[in-house]
Amino acid sequence: MKTKTHQDLCWHLPLLVAVFIQLWPIVFMVSTSLKDMDQIFQATLNPLPLPPTLNNYLTVLGNFPLFTYIYNTFFIAAFVTVFKVLTSVLAAFAFIYYDFKYKETVFNSMLLTFFIPITVLIMPNYLLMSRLDLLNTPWGVMLPQFVDGMGVFLMRQTMRGIPKPLLEAAVLDNAGPLQVLRKVVLPLIKPSIIAVGILFFINSWNEYFWPLLVLQDKETYTLPLALQMFISAEGGSEWGIAMAVATLTSLPPLALYLVCQKFILNTFMQSGVKG
Amino acid sequence: MNKAKWPAFWFLLPAALLFVIFFYWPLLQNLYLSFFSWNMISPTMKYVGLSNYIDILGSKEVYKIIGNTVIFVLIMLLFNFVLPYLYSFILGHLLQRGKMFYRSVLFLPATLSLAVASILFLWIYNPLAGPLSIVLAWFDMESPRWFKENLLVIFSICTIIGWKVFGYNLIVMLAAMVAVPREMIEAAKLENASNWTIFRRIIIPMTSSTAIYVFTITVVFGLQYVLVPVNMLTQGGPDQGSSNLVYIVYQYGFIFFQTGKSAAFAIITMFCYMAFLYLKNKYLEKKVYYEN
Amino acid sequence: MNSIVFENVCKSYGDAKIVKSLNLEIKEGERLILLGPSGCGKTTTLRMIAGLEDITSGQLKMGGRVVNDIAPGERNIAMVFQSYALFPHLSVWDNITFGLHIQKLPEAEIKKRADEALEILNLRGYENYKPKQLSGGQKQRVALCRALVKQSPYFLLDEPLSNLDAQLRQQARTELVRIHEIYKPTMIYVTHDQVEAMTVADRIVVLKDGELQQIAAPDTIYRHPANTFVAGFIGAPSMNILKARFNRDCICIGKAVLPVPELWRQVIGQRRDLLLGIRPEHCRLSEDAAVQGSITYVENTGNQRTVELQLESGENISVTVSDRNADVQNSSGICFSWDDVSLFDVTSGRNIGYIEKGEVFTDAMGS
Repeated sequence: MKTKTHQDLCWHLPLLVAVFIQLWPIVFMVSTSLKDMDQIFQATLNPLPLPPTLNNYLTVLGNFPLFTYIYNTFFIAAFVTVFKVLTSVLAAFAFIYYDFKYKETVFNSMLLTFFIPITVLIMPNYLLMSRLDLLNTPWGVMLPQFVDGMGVFLMRQTMRGIPKPLLEAAVLDNAGPLQVLRKVVLPLIKPSIIAVGILFFINSWNEYFWPLLVLQDKETYTLPLALQMFISAEGGSEWGIAMAVATLTSLPPLALYLVCQKFILNTFMQSGVKG
Repeated sequence: MNKAKWPAFWFLLPAALLFVIFFYWPLLQNLYLSFFSWNMISPTMKYVGLSNYIDILGSKEVYKIIGNTVIFVLIMLLFNFVLPYLYSFILGHLLQRGKMFYRSVLFLPATLSLAVASILFLWIYNPLAGPLSIVLAWFDMESPRWFKENLLVIFSICTIIGWKVFGYNLIVMLAAMVAVPREMIEAAKLENASNWTIFRRIIIPMTSSTAIYVFTITVVFGLQYVLVPVNMLTQGGPDQGSSNLVYIVYQYGFIFFQTGKSAAFAIITMFCYMAFLYLKNKYLEKKVYYEN
Repeated sequence: MNSIVFENVCKSYGDAKIVKSLNLEIKEGERLILLGPSGCGKTTTLRMIAGLEDITSGQLKMGGRVVNDIAPGERNIAMVFQSYALFPHLSVWDNITFGLHIQKLPEAEIKKRADEALEILNLRGYENYKPKQLSGGQKQRVALCRALVKQSPYFLLDEPLSNLDAQLRQQARTELVRIHEIYKPTMIYVTHDQVEAMTVADRIVVLKDGELQQIAAPDTIYRHPANTFVAGFIGAPSMNILKARFNRDCICIGKAVLPVPELWRQVIGQRRDLLLGIRPEHCRLSEDAAVQGSITYVENTGNQRTVELQLESGENISVTVSDRNADVQNSSGICFSWDDVSLFDVTSGRNIGYIEKGEVFTDAMGS
């Protein structure tokens, strides 16, 4: 018995190291954002900002259109999430409900897009957006993100979990495809849709690279883009302010995750596995 | 199950249309652009045939870039594939208590933006006043310039990616770990098998399909994640020391404004990706144990 | 008018032929059972009627019209699935009325039908339960209920009782027959359980490897199986089948020589080698038996004993004895009555004919 507990302790050690590495930078980010300049450089390692100050946040609020950034980020993330879920659900439903020629080929070609490196796509897409006059607009950021190979894959995977007889029973009752989707499929996979939706939202909220190209005017920036302004000149001295913006950027995803973590992790553990 | 073809088409249309416009058409357009010399702004494009490709393949730069890419991949495989694999085994089968806690906390960084992670580590790695330099000073060591030295810069950037992606890959691996029936491990324990034997003889074969998936996304996505810290912190420097096959396409396109070369690089990069996926399918998928 | 006719219906997946040229007529209002071992094509046959499987070739007619290309929803079919296929997110009431709402029936009619069905199946009070709150037997009744409210002329059941335990199964069988008697739809019922088949069916269709073996009333199938497969499949323990030789008005089984009655001689005709089938429950153990053998094993199941004997010829035979007081140990063989015998052709395995009320029947049986 004693050796068993001892063994268990041994295995906790590497995990605690990992927890420290994963957690400390986040704690450090928040605490630095609450320190004034002196504290930042003199009590660098002290996790407690004593006394805490909100000056960094006030400076940001006073000098930058922070609420515009938040609104821009939210607007894009919300639209992207809704449309991504929509296109993924519709396509996935076609794959489980219908039999058609080249079904596997069509599915694989959708899944394959998931592996195309983004830089391969940015130049032509940038030219397209510029031709459509969508540069510097949230639509330019959103349009290419309205579909996602991973989304189609995850949704199909989830829908495959629905027992076939349930769909057949509805079909025998003369339910049309839209009725089957609305009355049988959607209610059954609601939890997965919400989880995937949250994930899409977080990903889009955090998106940096594509918005960087499309959004050039400062007032159209999203939060991750705004971050860049604080580090430009060779690690400038505005660390407190940079950390304040970083904290604000991280808050919504962190909060979403903390509230729904069990839900998200479970859905992921179920759907992350290849089938 | 259902025969009618047209309704299937309507359901697929929105996704298919977007995939064609924003994924497949750009691929073709890259191919087209790669035969021209253009600066993205001038109204005229000059047809140059294969010379973009010849220039690229004849330059020293491309080999440095490929070398960097390989180093990036190797380090990321350690942080985002090997470590999550081992940790998920500990978490799934060796620990009795605290699993939920570890699972939740280790996933936290995965929800943050890479832009945030980049800023955070820029400060942590700051050679003059950053926290890491203070810790190193305790041991009388001088902090290296993490983002300014060849090779070291790749390692530093990989730690950022590792920090952000570790938790996600851990969760995916953990799902596969938990799916290994407990009876199987208990049966092995009755035979007095060591944990290492269990890991090697039971866990690795039983989780191989997910492991290959994680391996793939580590390579394929890792190189794209790298874009954010590279662009924010080093712009590919020092002296292209942190550029790679994915970033170089952006560099030529949006920094050097050599659209044709950028497109040619895009095609080469795409070709490398496809070669990787093909080799993976050919050599790895065969050895995999699939449940059904 | 609500008959179902299969004309040369085939079903194959790639090279695998699941159903091979099926010809079958199901009469309006009858209870027809599709019986066979797993993989015999019985569920596929049922699903073809429902329209859930395409027909590879041949014609399927329902109520006189060809339905090969009619969508499942337009065939007006009620079906009970093996897994019940209850919608987990809907209450019992919503499950039952799901199809009626899609048909856009008036609310009053929906309520009337659902109330009636709930009453018949004794599910009053469970309207607001979710499927996972119900026991297996209740779920099965909800599934029946959902089929019942549609009042379809066709009622399909795919192993509806296989997920119930033995006791419930018997109850449910009786209930099924009772419900059928109320509306008299054309009922097609798939099972691999011969007891279910014998007790529920008006007629039984025995299938094997996608081919029809016999279609007849349960009693006929039991007494005059069309071939050795049906003989072995129906009845437990299964029918003993012994090698026999017909010679000079006698049949020889090993060393035993049994005189053959006149009518049976007409059935046998010119044949020499035969297979003789006799059910264990029709054999009697005796001390001076016609067919000699020695006891190798006795199995007691409480209500009866099954005795295994090895005959002199080396063949094994089982005999069931229901008399508790019978002394089995001293018996030296078996005897049986010619009334209980089936004879099969030695090469094709087909039944060569039988005698019913003093008349000889030698026409081809089965299909």
